[in-house]
Amino acid sequence: MSEFEFQRFIAIGQYLPTESPVHRLDPRTRLIGALLILIAVTAAPNLLGLGVALVGIVGITALARVPLGYALRGLLPPLPFIIFLAVLQSLLGPAGDDMVPIFAWGPFHLSVTSLLNGAAILLRFPALILTITAFSAATSTTAIVRGLDALLRPLASLGLPAQDLVLMVQVALRFLPLLAREAERIAKSQASRGAEWGTGRGKLLRRVRQALPILIPLFLVSLQRAENLALAMEARGYRSQGRRSSIITLRFRLADGLALTACLLLATLVLLM
Amino acid sequence: MKPLIAVDSITYTYKPNTGASVPALRKLSLQIAAGEHVAIVGANGSGKSTLARHLNALLLPDTGTVRINGLDTRVTAHHPEIRRLVGMVFQRPEDQTVATLVEHDVAFGPENLGLPPAEIRSRVQHALLTVGLWEHRQRPPHMLSAGQMQRLALAGILAMRPDCIIFDEVTAMLDPEGRRAARTLMKELHAEDITLIRITHLMEETLDAQRVVVLHRGAVVMDGTPQEIFRDAGKLQCLGLDVPPVARLADALRRHVSGLPENVLTVADLVDALDRIPHHTTSCHNPPSLSPSPQGPTLIESAGLGHIYMRDTPFAHRALKEANLMVHEGCAHGLIGATGTGKSTLLQHLNGLLKPQEGTLNVIGYPLHEPQTDVRAVRQRVGLVFQTPETQIFEQYVGDEIAYGPRLTGLVGAALRDRVRWAMALVGLDFEAFKDRFTFALSGGEKRKVALASILALQPRILLLDEPTAGLDPASRRDLIARLRTLSCPRGGPAPLDSGADRSDRPEMTLILSSHQMEDIADLTEELTVMANNTTVLHGSMTQVFSQREQLQAWGLEQPVVIRLADELRARGWCLPEVIANQEDLLAQLRCRLATPR
Repeated sequence: MSEFEFQRFIAIGQYLPTESPVHRLDPRTRLIGALLILIAVTAAPNLLGLGVALVGIVGITALARVPLGYALRGLLPPLPFIIFLAVLQSLLGPAGDDMVPIFAWGPFHLSVTSLLNGAAILLRFPALILTITAFSAATSTTAIVRGLDALLRPLASLGLPAQDLVLMVQVALRFLPLLAREAERIAKSQASRGAEWGTGRGKLLRRVRQALPILIPLFLVSLQRAENLALAMEARGYRSQGRRSSIITLRFRLADGLALTACLLLATLVLLM
Repeated sequence: MKPLIAVDSITYTYKPNTGASVPALRKLSLQIAAGEHVAIVGANGSGKSTLARHLNALLLPDTGTVRINGLDTRVTAHHPEIRRLVGMVFQRPEDQTVATLVEHDVAFGPENLGLPPAEIRSRVQHALLTVGLWEHRQRPPHMLSAGQMQRLALAGILAMRPDCIIFDEVTAMLDPEGRRAARTLMKELHAEDITLIRITHLMEETLDAQRVVVLHRGAVVMDGTPQEIFRDAGKLQCLGLDVPPVARLADALRRHVSGLPENVLTVADLVDALDRIPHHTTSCHNPPSLSPSPQGPTLIESAGLGHIYMRDTPFAHRALKEANLMVHEGCAHGLIGATGTGKSTLLQHLNGLLKPQEGTLNVIGYPLHEPQTDVRAVRQRVGLVFQTPETQIFEQYVGDEIAYGPRLTGLVGAALRDRVRWAMALVGLDFEAFKDRFTFALSGGEKRKVALASILALQPRILLLDEPTAGLDPASRRDLIARLRTLSCPRGGPAPLDSGADRSDRPEMTLILSSHQMEDIADLTEELTVMANNTTVLHGSMTQVFSQREQLQAWGLEQPVVIRLADELRARGWCLPEVIANQEDLLAQLRCRLATPR
């Protein structure tokens, strides 16, 4: 494995054309289903609920024929932050009134409640990330745009620039792998000039300092890229006020009804546990 | 008849945030009729792309008017129709894809036109079939090869059924086969009465056009048929341009041979012209075949090298398998092959950026397949200049950019300064004039020089170059080739402008370069390795490899002009020795065979 393959850690926003049953659902179903699960996971009151949610999400990931190992790898980059948050929550979070702290030192304390809260973070964030990964692997950006457009159309009459919002989502998703690849290119070119990339050496501070020369060209290149993309889109007749159509025809079938019911059930279960 | 495109005396100035600015277009007028095939050429910064962007209302002129089919681009209400009429394919196809699925990307334009889904699907199908990507419709665009990406961008335009298509340097990143395919496709489109406007740096590509428009500093300075334009080689040189390689060869011949007509632009024409001049075909005084040049010690040796990108993910794809490479000291080595055959991947192994997943690789004595090897030491001795390296410049000042590498090796003060000065001299940048210049304000050619100098400043023993001339205009390309030549053959070339001490410890540099321009390879290298199907398939001297005409075609490559010409002459019964490597060899052979020397 190469240290430069930043792309392999980007599972979010990568469409996988596996043509699974999930892929065949109406885009609106996928959007609402994902939203239901995301809300339930965010609001899940306890560990049991989160565990149920994780099982459900892993099931959906399998149903969408997204390799689990691949989906899990997307958790690696944010993992340090998640652990950091969990530790913070365990040490600084509310101790709970009925419990005696196991350990206390100055502002730090550890109790069963705060430990449970920390553990909840360890489950909650991965569940959220996996949901988004499975959703974006099963939904092409065009389908997302079509679905969002249909769902947000009522809001357009209230003056919300629905179409532009939707397009922002599409472009952002498309930019993720592009940025990863660009960062890869720049890191490689600097490694060729003696920077400590991919040599497995170098002190932490020095490594951080060497990230700076990558960020500057990355920033410039992404601006350039965004400008080019905007030009190309305009050249292909995109107008923010124009009425667009779509290659995707929306059709709500029996499977969609079943899928939505299943998502609703899962969400209720998670919240009631 | 009303012209399709009428540009009337337009001026345009980019508005930067700071300082005075130079107009990109000055009083430019141009008319293009429906059904024409026009090539637009000009040095970098001559206003070609700016002009193109006026033709479908992406930019609006400061003064003057642009009318497309009679519609003024200033009127916003006209824009949807203008953009349907005039489609534009940009240089970097990956910047044009909007969707994450090939067929959805093609649908983007028709969706903007507000067409019904059934109509969109039929147009998408037709466009994808036309460019030959129908079977890839369910793939994500970034998994396509460079040539396929370019065709995808074209399909996205075709689906809008335009009357005119502008191609903005679309072949710059393509291999010979990709360029051939693009050329065929353009001919088909033109046969369907689509007006074509192509912007290019490759003069031989303008020969398909009926009309060539030359821009210089934002104005039209020449306008005529290719024959008319290429008659004046001197003027083109002054404009930073060139004649096609065949015409250059014909010009050189004309100095020694009488009876050669003006305006010979293709290999076939030149062969015909030469064949008409009385000549001996039988008496054949072949020079003794050259003894193989003494080879230096082996610098690089790989066996069974293999690499898979994104291994263990759904996106895994093999880029290299069973690759064997052998490079000797002091010899410029070329790497050729169609796009996606693994050239860049192989080059990135050679300085330890990628670690061998399979096989063995020894570079200047370092076994890179062994995990304990000091990769950083290899990287300092083997410099790699990436494709379009100018996009990776990150320092504000030229001097700092070039000093970055040597500074990391521990060089400071006067020694560092001397090193930067030395590297800048090698690429032809004056130290005092350039060291405090802002990097972002440099021209494209200058930026590439800075990027090259920043690698040279490390004084590598091996210099790896990935597509060093892609996207450069003819003048910058000529200059870069000449510089690289002096680097690889320090004996023959002029000494760089530096102090005596520096020159004495100047390291021998071995060049390894990949290129899609066979002329670059012929100009620079002595040995060649050919790649196909992600592996190395042929290794030999430059002339040996380039003599394999059919094989090269099958690999998506082509012969350089000189060798192609020699081959064609042999086919006509001319007796020429096997080894004709360059223009000088060919001239010498032809002079003694033509019966009417001057």
